[in-house]
Amino acid sequence: MTVGSQVKGCFSSIKSIEATLHLLSEKTTEQEAQQRYLQVEQLITEIKRDLQQHVIQLTKEEPQYK
Amino acid sequence: MPEWVIVIIRSFSLLIILFFMTKWLGKKQISQLNVFEYISGIVLGGIVAIHTIDPNANLIYAILSMFIWFIVPLTVEYISLKSKRFRNFTEGSSTVLIQDGKIMEDNLKKEGYSTDDLLEKLRDNNVFLASDVEFAVLEPSGSLSVLPKKENQPLTAKDLGLKLAPEKEPQTVIMDGEMLLEPLANLSLSVNWLETELDKQNVSIENVFLAQADNDGQLYLDLYDDLLAVTEPSEKPLLMATMKKCQADLELFALATENQHAKQLYEKNSKKLQQAIDLLNPYLI
Repeated sequence: MTVGSQVKGCFSSIKSIEATLHLLSEKTTEQEAQQRYLQVEQLITEIKRDLQQHVIQLTKEEPQYK
Repeated sequence: MPEWVIVIIRSFSLLIILFFMTKWLGKKQISQLNVFEYISGIVLGGIVAIHTIDPNANLIYAILSMFIWFIVPLTVEYISLKSKRFRNFTEGSSTVLIQDGKIMEDNLKKEGYSTDDLLEKLRDNNVFLASDVEFAVLEPSGSLSVLPKKENQPLTAKDLGLKLAPEKEPQTVIMDGEMLLEPLANLSLSVNWLETELDKQNVSIENVFLAQADNDGQLYLDLYDDLLAVTEPSEKPLLMATMKKCQADLELFALATENQHAKQLYEKNSKKLQQAIDLLNPYLI
């Protein structure tokens, strides 16, 4: 596995975390819990954005492994 | 009319009257009844018993006396709801038996409590050493309420300084293989959701003896067929594990790369993810 594909794997895990958090925030009936889930989801979204750009950059650097 | 018919008619009518009267008199548990309510209950029953088996007794008298024995306790109860002084008079007030860890001998004597009685009541409350008690009060109902000294109280999350997620009562969504719509609506979940969750577990609804859902929409099942394996809800543990794995991965990337810019990016995000894990920790246990 190249570094690029490893980072890509991590990136998709982050996306899955984001989705699960959103699902939980939709399902919960507890106001406080919902706020917490949304707050953490926002954090994860920031991480996702950062990583996304990095993944694009990495694929440019390793075009042979695309 | 033959006498046995009269007995039957009286039994039924008095039974119905008695039923409604006791309903009206309230929902208090038998053990919580004060002496007055206890006696009036017995008298009501006695009146009914006498008049059902004695065809010569006047039914009107029965109804009249039942009415009085019903209306007086009801008014007493009503007034004692409104007035604290009246309540103290009818229901009695509580007596402090242990204060600041010291036994109040005078109060014990006043209530006719021997030392053995006190020790017995304390043992009822799982206290075997009288000096473990900070405060104990004898309630009007005759039970002893005990406040142990702080160091003898059970350990709580508050003592440990733990922050826990709030938890609401779970709802029972399937009972004896039947879907219950109202509890589902209380959790703002749909029938569709429940069917999907059951499909995920690969069970049919007829096979479900009991299913409960918590306020995060996690479903807990018990099946008729105990040989079938039911998986515990894994959404939250899985989420936690994934987050921890990602955090570790990011740290690893940060160590492995030589590109300064990338290193910073990995480190920053791994810290952010750690923060997210800390925030979620109480909610995902």
